[in-house]
Parts: sequence; C-alpha cells; structure tokens
Amino acid sequence: MAGKNEPGNTEPDNNEPGNNEPDNIASKSDKPDGIGYPLPLEKEPKPAKPTAKMFACTACGASITIKYPGAAMAVVCNSCNSTIDVTSEAYRILSTYVGKTTFFKPDIPLGARGKLKGKTWEVIGYLVREASDYFWSEYLLFNPYYGYRWLVEDKGYWNFVTTIKRKPDTISINRYPVKGQLAKLDGKSYQIYNYGNAKVKYVLGEFYWRVMVGSSALTADYIDPPRMLSAEKDDNEVVWSLAEYMDADEIHKAFKVESKFPFQSGVPATKPPTELQASAKIGFLCTVFCIFITCAQVYFTADAPQSQLLRYDGIFTPNQKKADITTPVFTVTGGPTNIVIDLTAPVNNSWFYVGGEMVNDEDGTSYPFEKSVEYYCGSDSDGFWSEGSTRAQLGVSSVPSGKYYLNIDTESGDFRQARDDQYTITVSSGYAIYDNYWWTLLALILVPIYAFIAMRSVESSRWSNSDFSPYPDPSVYIGSDD
Amino acid sequence: MLTLSCPSCGANVNFQSKASVFAVCSFCKGSLVRRGMDLDNIGQVSELIDDLTPIQIGTTGMYKEQKFEVVGRIKVGYDGGFWNEWFCIFADEKIAWLAEAQGFYAVCFPCFDMVPPVGKFHPGKAVDFGKHGIYEVEDIRKVKCLYSEGELPFNALQGRKSESIDLSGFEDEMATIELADKENRVFLGSYIDFDQLQFKNLRRIDGW
Repeated sequence: MAGKNEPGNTEPDNNEPGNNEPDNIASKSDKPDGIGYPLPLEKEPKPAKPTAKMFACTACGASITIKYPGAAMAVVCNSCNSTIDVTSEAYRILSTYVGKTTFFKPDIPLGARGKLKGKTWEVIGYLVREASDYFWSEYLLFNPYYGYRWLVEDKGYWNFVTTIKRKPDTISINRYPVKGQLAKLDGKSYQIYNYGNAKVKYVLGEFYWRVMVGSSALTADYIDPPRMLSAEKDDNEVVWSLAEYMDADEIHKAFKVESKFPFQSGVPATKPPTELQASAKIGFLCTVFCIFITCAQVYFTADAPQSQLLRYDGIFTPNQKKADITTPVFTVTGGPTNIVIDLTAPVNNSWFYVGGEMVNDEDGTSYPFEKSVEYYCGSDSDGFWSEGSTRAQLGVSSVPSGKYYLNIDTESGDFRQARDDQYTITVSSGYAIYDNYWWTLLALILVPIYAFIAMRSVESSRWSNSDFSPYPDPSVYIGSDD
Repeated sequence: MLTLSCPSCGANVNFQSKASVFAVCSFCKGSLVRRGMDLDNIGQVSELIDDLTPIQIGTTGMYKEQKFEVVGRIKVGYDGGFWNEWFCIFADEKIAWLAEAQGFYAVCFPCFDMVPPVGKFHPGKAVDFGKHGIYEVEDIRKVKCLYSEGELPFNALQGRKSESIDLSGFEDEMATIELADKENRVFLGSYIDFDQLQFKNLRRIDGW
C-alpha cells in the first residue's frame, strides 16, 4: 500500500514532483462524487495555488521571494542575510546578520527535493548552530502533507530528525543532568549525552517560526544509538524530537547533490552500535559454546572407563644413565583411546628423567615421549620452600587398540645417596585429557575479548564529545583541548 | 441534511450536522448564523493566503475504523503561528475536530460530561480530568479566528477571540481547553499519523 497512494510521493521512475498524481488527492477536474461535499451552484472550491510571494527586504531593499507564504513566518534575505517576520505587515526585521556570508554554505542547496523514508522532502531552510564553539548544520525539510523534518549534519555524519508530540519519561531538563541520566520513550532508554545552550549562528531560507540569529535554546540530547532523543527549550515551550542516524550517501543520492559532502571524522553519537551488538552476540555465542564443550567434556570423561594396563617397577642407580629398558607388552583395547603414562621416582633434592617411546608391537608405530620428575626443598629467611613433585604424568591421545610396550632410557642427578632405588611407570587408558579442552576454551575466550576491546574503543570514541561519558576521559592524559 | 439559501446571494448553504449553527457561504463568503430555518448574514470572511493545508471541505478520513467527513474549518492564529481546526462529522452524526498544524494531526472530541477545570493554568501544571486521566499543560495561547469556511457548531466570525490551552496526556493523548467569551469547553483526543487517517479527496497542492 505504501508508495503510490501516499501523497507527496514521487514515483521512482518519475522524478518530476509536479507530475505526481496520488490517488487520494482530488484532481482539478474532479466532480464531487456524492460521498464528498455537496457543492452548491456547481462552484468548486478553487484549488488555491501556493504562489510565491515577493517583497522588498526591509533591511537592504533587495527583492525577497517567499516560496510558501502561507506556511512561512520568517524568511531570510538572500542579499543581506537579515531574517524578516513575514507575518507582520511591516515586514519587521527579526535579526540582521553581519559578517562573512560565504563562510557558511549549505551542502544541500535550498529548494532541492529528495525522497527519504519513502517521502519527498524539500529543503526550505538552513541553520548553523553553535554550542561552546562547536558548530553543526541543520536543514529544514518540508512536505505539505507530512509537515517538517530535519537533517542535521555534524562532522560529516547525518541524522534524520522528527519532532514528536509524546513526552519521554524523564526528570525536568531544567536541572543539569547527572551522568547516566535516562529518558524513556516507547520502552527504550536513552542516556544523557549532551546538555547546554545552542545558539543560532547563521540562517538561510524560510521557517515556520520566527527564527533569529543569536537566539539560543537549552538543549538536552539522550542517545540510544542509532537514535537520539532531544529536548529543546526556549522561553515558551519544550519541544522533543527523535533523531535517527542516516547514511550520508543515501542523503547525497536522494537530493542529487553534486558537490562533496563534508568529510567525516570521529565517531558520531548516533553511529549504529554494530560493535556493541557484535560484541554482545559474540559473547553470548562463546558462552553458549563454552557451556556446550564443558558439558561434552564432562559427559565423555565421566563415561570413560579407566584401567591400568601396565605397572613397571624399575631399578635405577642414582646419578647414572641407563639405556634400552624394555617393558612387558600390554594391550590397549577400546581404541583409539587416551593413554596416560605416570612416572613416580623417590626424588628429593634430585631429579629423575625418562625418555623413550611407546611402540606398537605389531606394526612398529612409535609414540615418543619424555618426562622428568624433580623435587627440591630447603629453608631460607622466608621459611621452608619446595618445588616440584615426585610424580609426573603425560598423555598420549588417540592410541589405536593393539599390543604395545615401552622402550625407555633413564637418567638422574643430584642424588646424594648412591644405593639403587626404585621408580615406577604405570600406563593407563581411558583417562580424561583436559589439554584440548583448556586450549579450546582459551581460544574461545580470546574472541569475545577481542570483540570487547574493539567495542570499547568505538564506544569510548562515540562518547568523547560528551560531558557524560561512561568511559575514562582520554583528554585527562593527553591534555584537554577545550 | 438541511439546505438553506444564502440571504445575500441566494446560493445553497448546506448543513450536514444538526450541531451546526454557523456557516460561511461558499459563494459570497458571508458569515451566516442559523436560527431554526433562518439564516442571518452577520459578516464577511476575507480570503487568506494559502497555508498549504492538504485538507479541504469534503476530505474524508478514517478514525478507529469509522469514516468521517470534513464539513467546516476554523483557522486560528496566535503570536507564534496558526493552526486549523477542521469540523468533522461521522456517519452516526457524531462530531469531532481534526486539528492540523505543521504536519501534525489530532482527532479530538468535545467532552460534554466534564466541567472544564477552573483556576490558573501554566505550562507544566497537571490537570485532573477524572476518569479521563491526568493531563499536563503544554502551552496557553491567546488565539483569534483568522478564517472560517463551511459549517461550524459556533459563531466563528473572523476575529473571534478565545484562549486555547493545550494539554498532553499518556503517549499520544491530548486535550484542549477552550476558554471563549460565553462558554468553556474541553476536547479530548490523540495525535495520529497522516497515513493512518487514510484521507481521501485531499486538496491538490501545486507542485506536490
């Protein structure tokens, strides 16, 4: 239904706004159709033409054209830049502008029409506003059926702004807000971003209120990217509006602007929160996956039958090497399975080393390994200390079923006694191996950490223009440029 | 529908609503007051420059799945602007007002079962409308009738003065208290999007 039946729409293949004939508008030749107003004496109400009106500027005498005389209250003189009250018969001067008039130039020319959000809008006014030496541009858009909208350009980024009648739920904007203060609208929470006085620095075009250069309004902006909720308070009333981030290219194309739009810099307040959403999504997915692999790990390890396949008690001579020890053959069943080789030696301020391989007795496949145990202790000014253990373990994963034996060398050192002692090697199967689990978990945690850092960087940039940033102020370290 | 003749020019003057006591002759722009079956010419309405409103007498729209038709209008002005109040009738003869200003539309109904609140009003003041809820005063404006046309339920002479107090309620709800010479009235309604009203027979606006 949208599109053709809406007035003020331009057909996609017909860009002449004048040729537009929406269904719900009575055409000039239409006779009353019975349901409509019964017209007396065949006399139709004249379709009044919005004829442009001309008058001489009260300030400089130049000719000023009012394009929409019935709707405009103030019009700016193209020659001297004074704003004139067109509702007063004397064309009262509201404000005069002194200064370089070429300094501010609208990036979308006045009079340009473009289709945004499915409706055609004409740029009828241009404002430059300023707060604490910070400047931005505002374009007043008009469509006689839908009223007024704004395009606000700030550092090359654009917002499409609609005035709203419903009131957000917040405390009075007369009071200076506290960090994190919220305004709620339509079930969404908007966080205070900016608060201050915005002054009109420059104007062009025509306006539905008595615009004046130099007039100022108290403004409060609350953000929930990509939207911003703003309050503007002048002497008479508080007006709320809802802004939404709009792609610069979309606007550039819609109004068929030939010159380049302002260069984009920084992160705008209403930049769509893609990093925030991505970070939250990644965090969620990783949590789900961590839970999943933890469940899987617990399930499989709890299920794994553990059994000792070999216990080999060997004799060693301290501080000497011994090569080519071969253990009895043991059988691995239920493979491929995890094998754990356990080494215990009576080390005490000494070390013991085993190196070698686990060999398949049938096909000769070998699984090399080496492991040592060491234990040192003593006491110093801090008291007793110790490090190491008399026991060490190593795992071999995915060992197929079959007959195996160990072929090992041993070595030891730092023993104070010389008599032979005994070490023990056991081989068990079905042991749970946690290495892969922990590595996977670590890798999984790195992803959301990276996404979180990226998000923080964008979000803190977003808030860098705000006095209410929830992030630490970077200017504290590099010197404020205010 | 009642059809009478304009005492000045003889053109037909229609009254679709029984509530209408005033009409502007579409031919000679005479301000006509109806007393029973008689019409008295009490003034003249002078033309105004086009305010680019898309509504006209004969425009129909939908409100809560009921069709209404615009039969009259009063345009009021205040220091900071103007707005239109379009007098509408529904098929069941219920009357309503379609307020239109700067592209905002509100449909509101006269609230007969309520005594208008008295006392001083100031923006921000909460006004208790009993079972209709609590509304907050948005603005208070001294207004003047700039233009009228069609049929209307009161004498909408050009220059008629009144005070209009706009209030906002929950979400899109709104209310208006009108303080006029003879009587004070309360209207309750809500803001509605242009598209939702499904207007038909809108006025042609050249170039759009």
